[in-house]
Amino acid sequence: MITTLALLSLSLPVTADPAPGADRLVVFAERAFTAPGEVVTNAVITINDGKIVSVKRNSSAGSADLKAACVTAGLVDMGFRYSTNQNTVEQSSEITAAARIAPALDLHARVWERALRQGITSVAVFPVDRNVVGGQGAVLKTGGDPTLEARLVREDAFLRGAMGSLPSSGNRPSGSRPTNFYSRRPTTRMGVEWEWRKAFYDAWQEENRGDADRPGRAELLRALSGETPVFIQAWATQDIRTAVFFAEEMAAEGMGTMRLVIDAGAEAWREPNLLVRSNAAVCLPPLPAEGRTTENAFMSLDTAAKLHEAGIPVALSAHAGSGSGNTLAEQAIYARRGGLPFDAALAAVTTVPATLLGVSDRVGTIAAGQDGDLVLWNGDPFEFTTRPVGVVLNGTVLVGGDTDR
Amino acid sequence: MILFTRRAPRTMKNSSALLSLLLVAAAPTAFAADGKLVIEAGKVVTLTGDVIENGKIVIVDGRITAIGADVDAPWDAEHLDASGLVAYPGFVEAITSGGMDRPNENVAVAPFLDVRDSIDPVNTTFENFLRSGVTTLNIQQGPSCVVGARGHVVKPIGRTVEEMSVKPRSGLVLSASPSRGKSRATQAQALRSTFADLKRYLEGVVAETKAGKDYAKREAMYQGREPDKESAKGRDLQCSAWDVEGMKLVPRWEIDEKQAPLLSLVEGKIPAFIYCSTAMDIRVAIEIAEANGFLHKTTLVVSGDCDRAADLIAERGIPVILTGSLTRSELDEETDEVEDIFLPEVYDEAGVRFALRSNNSTTQSLAYQAARCVAHGMSREDAMRAISVTPAEILGVAKRVGSLGVGMDGNVVLYTDDPFSVKGVVQHVIIEGEVVYDRATDVRVRHLEQGEAPDNTEPTDPEAAVDDEKGDGEDEKED
Repeated sequence: MITTLALLSLSLPVTADPAPGADRLVVFAERAFTAPGEVVTNAVITINDGKIVSVKRNSSAGSADLKAACVTAGLVDMGFRYSTNQNTVEQSSEITAAARIAPALDLHARVWERALRQGITSVAVFPVDRNVVGGQGAVLKTGGDPTLEARLVREDAFLRGAMGSLPSSGNRPSGSRPTNFYSRRPTTRMGVEWEWRKAFYDAWQEENRGDADRPGRAELLRALSGETPVFIQAWATQDIRTAVFFAEEMAAEGMGTMRLVIDAGAEAWREPNLLVRSNAAVCLPPLPAEGRTTENAFMSLDTAAKLHEAGIPVALSAHAGSGSGNTLAEQAIYARRGGLPFDAALAAVTTVPATLLGVSDRVGTIAAGQDGDLVLWNGDPFEFTTRPVGVVLNGTVLVGGDTDR
Repeated sequence: MILFTRRAPRTMKNSSALLSLLLVAAAPTAFAADGKLVIEAGKVVTLTGDVIENGKIVIVDGRITAIGADVDAPWDAEHLDASGLVAYPGFVEAITSGGMDRPNENVAVAPFLDVRDSIDPVNTTFENFLRSGVTTLNIQQGPSCVVGARGHVVKPIGRTVEEMSVKPRSGLVLSASPSRGKSRATQAQALRSTFADLKRYLEGVVAETKAGKDYAKREAMYQGREPDKESAKGRDLQCSAWDVEGMKLVPRWEIDEKQAPLLSLVEGKIPAFIYCSTAMDIRVAIEIAEANGFLHKTTLVVSGDCDRAADLIAERGIPVILTGSLTRSELDEETDEVEDIFLPEVYDEAGVRFALRSNNSTTQSLAYQAARCVAHGMSREDAMRAISVTPAEILGVAKRVGSLGVGMDGNVVLYTDDPFSVKGVVQHVIIEGEVVYDRATDVRVRHLEQGEAPDNTEPTDPEAAVDDEKGDGEDEKED
């Protein structure tokens, strides 16, 4: 049902409350960072029916509706972690590959608007930590009509699960052994890893034996073959290793080559070669004070820079949906302070996540044919002394627009 | 000893310097007693005067003796080549509980306590402050109290609180916000009764003295002396709000140690820092301070939605210290729209003098907080003022720190670039003429920024440690 709706939304132009004449928007920027490495000075960006139709250099602002010092594409947070309630991960089984996040989303929640106001226009949402394989992640816009039809960019964009201690935390009953039927498994890191392998081996064997289909198998097989990427949460080195070795084992067994994305890979800087070897990408968690993150993993300031130097696709995230209070622009600033070049920082919050999520044909860059998602800045983006002052989503001004500020 | 050397000044070259340091430990201002230093910076930003290109800062005995592009330096001064760096005055943290053993006391009214007993000089907080260019900080108890302990203005270097000291007994904290489990009414009443108790206590002391004096007078007359001609040891109460007759009869050293700091407060001798977490607390804070004559010595330590009372604060001319988040979201009930309010902007527009504090969720940096003000349209000068001159004024040490000028403490921070830029980091910190921080030798910065494990955290060979303890310098494995 939802898939059908998603298709509909792809074919129809998305317009939220189209006021008369509001289907066309012209934005002027002294500098438009249209894509990493590409700057158009005195750019006039024209958006029609929610899509960018042209980006031109012009000597003056002319009759532009909006003016800004700088403009970038709308930011993409692929580690949004929508978790305004507890119902964002199914726990009836350790492996719920077919579970879809969409029904758990409250599109009226304030969290979307908060993300939008800091310049995030697209987010990846997925079942969070409490399951081994939580299910299917989706890509959503943060604004517009609060309906899935209007906001869904891509359903079933990736398979999402977790390594480490979080999927097993709380499974061990306090004061007793997890021996009875009602205790959930796994209870250790070993058990978590075992669940991953079992799920994929089972799915693969069932398929080869020609067994009757069951929910989740198709999703696991698509992930196994690399058709959809697999996001594995792994904060600490030991869990990153487990995730990589798991993917390598599947490949070595001839079962398929996964497209691995390490989510929240705080310690990915310790062994970048491991990630290079397995063609994995990394989504970093927000930089914590004093470097300590979840799972006691240590994230240094130059993590993004190190991964970038090693040639690993790196996306930044603010975990903006978890009420963390972090902003994505701030994460880009910290990454720059750690040595990440500006273009790579821009890529890490636009094109890299858009590509990993399979939505780069719609978001992440400013070009004709792309969605009209823009962030207006009052100076160079990703500086301590500047900030987003306006946000355009699908050609509609949703935040700011007051150029004096 | 290892712990100590980590915090010792890094330019200390010989043991006589160490000896002199120990000898002068009791006199905190003489930290660099025989030091002469000339900093030759690519640019000097004094904050109160002009920006000086290729400027020199001459520091003798811990104080700045000359500053400018073309000034004479003592022939025997040490030179610090900072031609590629920008010199700023050390930043001032207006209030913090960092470096304290624990920030709050269990006793609600505890002005007889002093945070000096709670400051841990080797706490890594002080290193963090140095690393971010803070050279002066006001350590005060946390907000969970009615009246808290006496605070202490310190610099983030030294092996004892005495060495760190800039200004002892630097004020009292009061809280207009209730601690957990209490109501606002209880808190306000507790504040009122604290000062009512003080007044009652003073009246009691005077009465007792008078009674005692009558007896002493009769005894003196019996002995043939004239007691009225003997000089009184006390002095009148100098509180502008209320008076206790006969205070002249009571020598101040006879005042109970619990009440003495409160007496200093109502006499306007020490500043008050009043924690307020909502706008309604502001009214209580002003009422208490005004009713007891210390409003002119009061600074409000604000968080939450106190900005709603910004006009009231401005009207009374009270400075504030902004704690907590710099932004606040407010829901417009009618339009159902959420507005982000940038709090420094609100105070600034209302005309309130404010100081920023360094903590946010990720960083501990005053420069970062100030840069965010610039992002919201404040001028660089005003933003810089909120982390230097204004907090120094609030603490009553503006003649010593917060800007660079002749006669002021030799507290200089050398930045590699604009402190508000992504690239600008603190390369050196000089406190009272001593180079106390060098980024090149900062092990922890390499840990935080490059992931390198700090010293003494890697597994070591236990046998090697045993060899070392023998101290004979021989590697016994070779035998």
